Amino acid sequence: MNMHSKTDLRELSYAEAIREAMDIAMVRDERVILMGEDIGVYGGAFGVTGDLVEKYGTDRVMDTPISELGGAGVAVGAAMTGLRPIFEFQFSDFATLGMEQIVNQAAKIRYMLGGAVSVPVVMRFPSGSGTGAAAQHSQSLEAWTAHVPGLKVVQPATPADAKGLLLAALEDPDPVMIYEHKILYKMKGHVPDGYYTTPIGKAAVMREGKDLTIVATSIMVHKALDAAETLAAEGIEAEVIDLRTIRPMDRDTVLASVRKTGRLVCVYEAVKTLGVGAEVSAMVAESDAFDYLDAPIVRLGGAECPIPYNPELEKAVVPQVPDILEAARNLARGRV
Amino acid sequence: MPTEVIMPKVDMDMAKGKIMSWHIAEGERVSKGDPLFDIETDKAAMEVEAPADGILYHTAPEGMDIPIGTPCAWLYAEGEEVGEQPAPFAGQAGAAPKPEPVAADVPNDTKPVEAELELVDAIAGDATGKVRATPRARSLASGAGLNIADLIGTGPRGRVQALDVENEIALRDTRPAQLAAPVTFKVETGALAVTRSKGGTGTPIVMIHGFASDAMSWAPVETHLKHRPLIRIDLPGHGKSPKLRIDSFADLVREVRRAFDDLGLETAHLVGHSLGGAISIGLADTRAKRLSSLTLIAPAGLGPDINGDALSGICRATRAESLGPWLRSLVANEDIVTDSYVRLAMAGREDANLRAAQSRLADILFPDGVQAFDLRAALERIDTPTRIIWGKQDAIIPWKHALRAPGKMALHLFDGVGHMPQIENSDAVGRILSASV
Repeated sequence: MNMHSKTDLRELSYAEAIREAMDIAMVRDERVILMGEDIGVYGGAFGVTGDLVEKYGTDRVMDTPISELGGAGVAVGAAMTGLRPIFEFQFSDFATLGMEQIVNQAAKIRYMLGGAVSVPVVMRFPSGSGTGAAAQHSQSLEAWTAHVPGLKVVQPATPADAKGLLLAALEDPDPVMIYEHKILYKMKGHVPDGYYTTPIGKAAVMREGKDLTIVATSIMVHKALDAAETLAAEGIEAEVIDLRTIRPMDRDTVLASVRKTGRLVCVYEAVKTLGVGAEVSAMVAESDAFDYLDAPIVRLGGAECPIPYNPELEKAVVPQVPDILEAARNLARGRV
Repeated sequence: MPTEVIMPKVDMDMAKGKIMSWHIAEGERVSKGDPLFDIETDKAAMEVEAPADGILYHTAPEGMDIPIGTPCAWLYAEGEEVGEQPAPFAGQAGAAPKPEPVAADVPNDTKPVEAELELVDAIAGDATGKVRATPRARSLASGAGLNIADLIGTGPRGRVQALDVENEIALRDTRPAQLAAPVTFKVETGALAVTRSKGGTGTPIVMIHGFASDAMSWAPVETHLKHRPLIRIDLPGHGKSPKLRIDSFADLVREVRRAFDDLGLETAHLVGHSLGGAISIGLADTRAKRLSSLTLIAPAGLGPDINGDALSGICRATRAESLGPWLRSLVANEDIVTDSYVRLAMAGREDANLRAAQSRLADILFPDGVQAFDLRAALERIDTPTRIIWGKQDAIIPWKHALRAPGKMALHLFDGVGHMPQIENSDAVGRILSASV
């Protein structure tokens, strides 16, 4: 019988798990530094960095000025010259201001310099709706960076993966973008003790089922699992896959599931059109798994509008559990 | 635009009609409602009326089989230019033939297969002519050697889904014969009109129709059973059987038993509907050793109640208008009894002697609207494996009579089905039957 120590089963919040990952990384590797707006004494807009500045000092936990372009540029330069910076955009929405550094520099330098230099930078993007922060502070723009070769893009959905993917990102020689959902920061879950990594590019089957596949990202993984619980009581067995990494995408896990179930729903919070679900759908349609489809693919994504401030409308524009239930029921019962 | 003259569907399981004769010649004027041409189906001949006013052109040659729902001529308005035939007749390859006398000499037997294939496409496909089916359904069908166009889709907009293919494969496994073509029968000579299918192996299935019906009423389920030899008996005074004098239910059973004995079968599966079900109980009571199974569909003989008004109404009717309402009382979904169908049924009842014989039989078997014979004791005695199939909207004989059957018999009760389950839910009835034969 395996004996688990108490700490093996301890729970941390998603934010605590990220902080623990940064802490472990900074102890293990002195090249690891933290950069971002208000991450020092203030502890970060969402409290993720917390008191790390007290432990590691302002040389390794650096507040940057209110210039995303400047901050990101320094982080990219630091990575090129031997450090392992973790750069936090206060809101992922503000990364629009740093796009030049992400898209034209971080993603391309290794390629343009013939492999002489790599950019091992890690960038963190607090994203998503549900906090009442309205149109400019609630977006899910992960598909923007996922469209760029040279970047890796992950979306941890659980505290354990938030920690494991951050530590894996630090091991990676190339730029890794981590999109963290703001609503998940307070979610608690089991987080293994000590150092470990969660592989980038590997999805997780969160629940097995034979009737349909739900591929979800980030907070939608939890909504899909909620829905799957209800569906099971109705005799519909949904397989829920947490994509975890959207670039590079775990083709094998998704296709194997679709071959098994023949029915696919993609659920993501970002605007549905031209989003992650489009890529998942196309990947299936272009593969041999196409022959196993027994219904059209269904995408559930955000509405074609900015995120509203009104709390009811804010909920209405992104998929909720009843939306997933309805789509899954229709799909499983051959009504789509 | 000329008006198309369409081959009507006058029979539930009709795929095509043969043009017997045109009432008017090419280039002549007709008014809407005028008799335009005669057609012949498997059951009877009937007259088709002009769908509009106009001048008749491009008529299909007499003797040609035309798939239902497709044009067999065109009506042009006064002064409208008459060009080439707008479209070839369905089922014909290549360009439209001119309706010249020589065309009538072409043997029509070479065309029906193509015509039927086109018809299947028209049913299974959409406006593009393509079959709507999921990739998985296509893969499964292809792997099983099934033509996706032959399958009936139960998904949205008729889409064929994996389940449809799986059901078809399961069905095929229990029913080795293919569904493609209708069963063909040859007529046997004997005391009663008996038709025997040309194919099939193993234990034959003997089918006995109900009151005021005939052997044709089995057509919808025959395709499910064609792996066995099928033998249909027309009751005295029904279909093509002679109008024998019948003075009691026992007389009726005796005549049918004689016909059954004349078949010389060692064993048979017996299927009877309504009055034919009652007769089947009588046969099973006296020929138990020769029956492998017994299937009773809405059988008479299990209780006194019966809709005497409907029986006498059907016997009395001399016109489609008076026959229609009674025929509709036979089914739960009245839409399946179309005006065309009623006219065809009336055409089959034009013989006044036949109507009189059936009226007399109804008076003897069902005096004052009561079933005058009780077969419950006989049913209790039957040890042959027996199934009873009934529609819960049966307005002729109450389905609850089924509950009087002994517990050793299987009951299949269908919601939304009336007195004719073998027509209203022929697929399900066909599957039940094919599972027991």
